[in-house]
Amino acid sequence: MQTRVTVGLAQIDCLLGEVDANLECHLEWIAKARERGVEWLLFPELSLTGYRLLHLTSRMAMRPASSPVIQKLIEAAGEMSVVVGLVEEDEQGVLYNSAVVLDAGGIRHVHRKLYLPTYGIFQEGRFFGAGDQIDLVPVNGRHLGVLICEDLWHPELGRRLARAGAKVLAVISASPGRLGGESKSEGQDIWETITRSTALLNTCWLLYCNRVGWEEGSFYTGCSHIIRPGGQIMARAPFLEEDLLVATIDLREVDRLRWRLPLVRADRSDIEGPA
Amino acid sequence: MSTRQYVRDCLRLDPALAVTTLESFIRDAIQTAGAKGVAVGLSGGVDSALAAALATRALGADAVHALSLPYRTSNPDSAKDAASVAASLGLELRTIDISPMVDAYFERFENEADRVRMGNKMSRERMGILFDQAKKHGCLVLGTSNKTEILLGYSTIFGDNASSLNPLGDLYKQQVWQLSRHLGIPDEVVAKSPSADLWPGQTDEKELGLEYATADDVLFLMFDWGLSPDEVLELGYAAEAVEKITQFEKKNRFKRRLMLIARLSDSAINLDREIPRD
Repeated sequence: MQTRVTVGLAQIDCLLGEVDANLECHLEWIAKARERGVEWLLFPELSLTGYRLLHLTSRMAMRPASSPVIQKLIEAAGEMSVVVGLVEEDEQGVLYNSAVVLDAGGIRHVHRKLYLPTYGIFQEGRFFGAGDQIDLVPVNGRHLGVLICEDLWHPELGRRLARAGAKVLAVISASPGRLGGESKSEGQDIWETITRSTALLNTCWLLYCNRVGWEEGSFYTGCSHIIRPGGQIMARAPFLEEDLLVATIDLREVDRLRWRLPLVRADRSDIEGPA
Repeated sequence: MSTRQYVRDCLRLDPALAVTTLESFIRDAIQTAGAKGVAVGLSGGVDSALAAALATRALGADAVHALSLPYRTSNPDSAKDAASVAASLGLELRTIDISPMVDAYFERFENEADRVRMGNKMSRERMGILFDQAKKHGCLVLGTSNKTEILLGYSTIFGDNASSLNPLGDLYKQQVWQLSRHLGIPDEVVAKSPSADLWPGQTDEKELGLEYATADDVLFLMFDWGLSPDEVLELGYAAEAVEKITQFEKKNRFKRRLMLIARLSDSAINLDREIPRD
């Protein structure tokens, strides 16, 4: 198993409903990432389709195993592990907001978003079915867990993945921003509170890849970032601008911290009381 | 801290971040539409001044077509202030007097019309010209309505409330003032009493019977936070103001949901089929 991994977060803008154009964009960014030695590359949530699809959702449906778009991405990825976001359709015609992990010439893992925000500006529950499982990604010794945006607001998921062996949580997101009185957007502040807490409480690396750009008058913040197992921000991409954030992370840092701070080892599911 | 003070704090923006974000909004909307710039009417007031300033920062002065569209009874200070805004932004200002078009209609066909009807006609005449100028230059019409007036419905439907993109639509009036000061909009424009200038002596606060500061707070509490009018009263706001704001907001909702379509199928536009515009 490789202990040092160079990760890349592709903080891109996506064109709403334009899969072909978004595919071209992905191919360009995969090439850019290769030049910089990236081994794991993340794209944002629904990166191939755009986020606010509403009634365009069904027109974007893909079956990854037989999709020519996915085939092109697999070929372009080569030895790189690449996570993309898309509208996945299952055999029953149910649509999911999915993250697909491409690796070593094939589809290695599909994560279907578990928590679909349907409040405020969000309408996912109207168009998507919710996933019903989580698992580790069989890449580099099963130390990677993938979640999508709202999933991270439910802390039991990160904890379950960490208990099962995750040393890295990759979170892909399309998070709309808001402004207030602070010099960074409220969205960024809230997300960093959650990502830093999740990383620290599970003593694992956390990669948060958010998109940028505007859809229907609403902007996506960007500010993708990488959190160390101790909760510190290692690197952060800019606000509202496209960027490829690259860093090398060391999985041994997780082990070393867990010797000193054995939170995951100490976790107990046998405590009695209110469920 | 009192709730009223907390509301004020919630309404305060980081001006630099807000300006950066709104510039990005304008650039993106223009690019998405494949347009060359914006057409904007400068009234001499603070809203249009801020919208024009943001567009100029986002696109450059050459891409901003600024128009002054006075009627013969307009306050001469309005045109003067529009000119000073344009000059401060390095914009060329074209003046088109709308009196002949507006007067032609009322003199020939409707000489009994009251001042509200005349004011509405002026507002729509201006917007008609802005859309034509936008077409001429391959541009979009830049909206200048703020959140306070949109929520109160203090606007002419398909007149000043029409536009292709509006960077100010989620800013309460106090926030418009805050950003305008930050961007160095001339003091006389920021400090003067807001007016639609549709008839002599008209001011927003006189016509509404409300101060903007109160309107902003109460709208924020009811619209953003979802408080009931009774809960707002408990915070010490004047009963008369809360009642007025509630009535305005309710009465004018139709102005912010354009196109009321009779639904006959299960695929009515917007109600059943929400197709994003981007």
